Amino acid sequence: MINIHFPIFILTLLLAFATIIPLQKRPFDRRFQVIMMSVLVVSLVMAIGELIYVIDHGAYSYTFGSYERGIGIEFLVDEFSVLMTAVVIVIAFFILLYSIRDLEHEIDPSRIYSYYTLIFLLLFAMIGMIFTNDIFNMYVFVEILSITSVAIIAIKNKKDSLMASMKYLIMGTIGSITVLMGFALIYMVTGHLNMTLIAEEIVLVWEQYPLNILLAMGFILTGFGIKAAIFPLHNWLPDAHSSAPTPSSAFLSGLVVKAYVFAIAKMIYRVVGPDISTNIGLTDYILIFAVLSIIMGSVYALSQTDIKRRLAYSSVAQIGYIFLGLGLATDLGISAALFHVISHAFMKSALFLSAGSIIYLTGKRHVKDLSGIAYTMPVTMTVFCIGTLGMIGIPATSGFMSKWYLGLASLDAGQPELLIVILISSFLNALYYLPIVISAFLQEKPSRETIVVVSTQGTTVPRSMKISMALVGAGVIIIGLFPNIVMDIINMAVPTFIE
Amino acid sequence: MPIEIDFFLNNINYIGAMVLFVIGLYTVLTHPNLIKKVIGINIMETSVFLFFVSIGFISGANAPIVEQGQAAETVVNPLPSAMILTGIVVAIGVTAFALSLIVKIHEAYGTIELDEIMQIRSAEKND
Repeated sequence: MINIHFPIFILTLLLAFATIIPLQKRPFDRRFQVIMMSVLVVSLVMAIGELIYVIDHGAYSYTFGSYERGIGIEFLVDEFSVLMTAVVIVIAFFILLYSIRDLEHEIDPSRIYSYYTLIFLLLFAMIGMIFTNDIFNMYVFVEILSITSVAIIAIKNKKDSLMASMKYLIMGTIGSITVLMGFALIYMVTGHLNMTLIAEEIVLVWEQYPLNILLAMGFILTGFGIKAAIFPLHNWLPDAHSSAPTPSSAFLSGLVVKAYVFAIAKMIYRVVGPDISTNIGLTDYILIFAVLSIIMGSVYALSQTDIKRRLAYSSVAQIGYIFLGLGLATDLGISAALFHVISHAFMKSALFLSAGSIIYLTGKRHVKDLSGIAYTMPVTMTVFCIGTLGMIGIPATSGFMSKWYLGLASLDAGQPELLIVILISSFLNALYYLPIVISAFLQEKPSRETIVVVSTQGTTVPRSMKISMALVGAGVIIIGLFPNIVMDIINMAVPTFIE
Repeated sequence: MPIEIDFFLNNINYIGAMVLFVIGLYTVLTHPNLIKKVIGINIMETSVFLFFVSIGFISGANAPIVEQGQAAETVVNPLPSAMILTGIVVAIGVTAFALSLIVKIHEAYGTIELDEIMQIRSAEKND
């Protein structure tokens, strides 16, 4: 059965391709673009093949070098991690398709190859983090991911992006050191690095060392919380996501943050276990910070006038939804959270890509300047509109389904007040997103001809950018209309979280 | 009530690690100079490494080399040390990257003091 090796093949392919890119001597041309895209297509085919295998045969663990569990590094390949890998690769495909034309005016042409090296290393680290079942291995992937994600911001080499990446680097490093301290505490209690073995050991010893485990999880949640931008630790995110090149913003907001959230989900449910987490009070803390994130992220977003900063703050709120689901510690809560991981990845990528192409064509970032822009850029604004409707939670978009599942989960867990939080946040979302859409579509500006004159990039967005945006937007609608495609796979994976 | 000196002496490496962690965090958070922030991060990293290595340490035990035929004696757990070797490499990578970013920031702003950079940025915003 070759299928069981596919996760490793995907990782090796991405890593090998990342190391080959810097050897390129030819200018950035069509040939390289085709090779790059075909690498992603091959990995996508492998991910889908793996998904079919896992759905048929169930989750399995993959040990390296035939060392037994606990000695060697182990990957746990379950339904959700394979689905997440497929989603990561699909979205990466669209973003890279978009980036081919967009990058040339955002970064120095001599750095384009470096940029793609970083992107492939980033994908490698992200997929590694999704699969790994070993906490120290996870730490190594976290460090690779945090360095590459800082580098894809700093590569723009503008004043504000340099400062934003410095801030991100300092915060991110504090985060990963804190995570390592937590891992050290867990290793101290259990003597294992393998998550499955830790889980078995913690069940036996947690009554003896409840404080130690609470402290370890405190360190780990704070560390990953910094990286996932949960409310009081979100400071770096708006600067980093708004000053980055557009493809980087889409990567960071849509995918990278989710990898950390998934790591938290693994730590809470697979390592410590839902019962013990609830017992030592972990889930209560998560719920408090989730609610704070949801409300404060939206409130901050209201006051932003830069379109990319507004989107970045809205990410803070959306991460809050995922944590809300995780904090409920029920089957429905986890599946809603995992569903939102995927649906938000599509929505936020659609929003960032369309905002990026507005900036590409007109150079305008202020939300007030966007009135009437749908006349000149109908495709872009339609995608933007789909994204915003998804964020607000209008039916037929994936955002509606994730709010629906979250609402059901919070009612099921007997906490209807959380439903009110979700509703308030939806109204706030509508408050800060809808004015952009309404003024773009319905307000005709007398001076709209000047928009075209100002542009230096030609009069329309390149076709490759339009296609990739439209496909991401279509993804939002498809998941909204047929949520079961995703939900069935998630429901298969939930038992691996709650045992 | 007498302080339990033994408790402190037996756990001195853990306590030292935690003190270093807090010193490092304090340095990162309060110093406006970016190089000093990087130094603070290094102190934090060192503290975690000290903590991790202490877990495997047993006083008086040998390195885990067992010859064939000999009875196994008490040995130090080698795994934390091996992991920290990886950790040190990662820390060097992060430090090098942070320093190169600081060089770029110095080129762009002419200073590496955070408060001066903030002044420059707010002056630019007002223009």
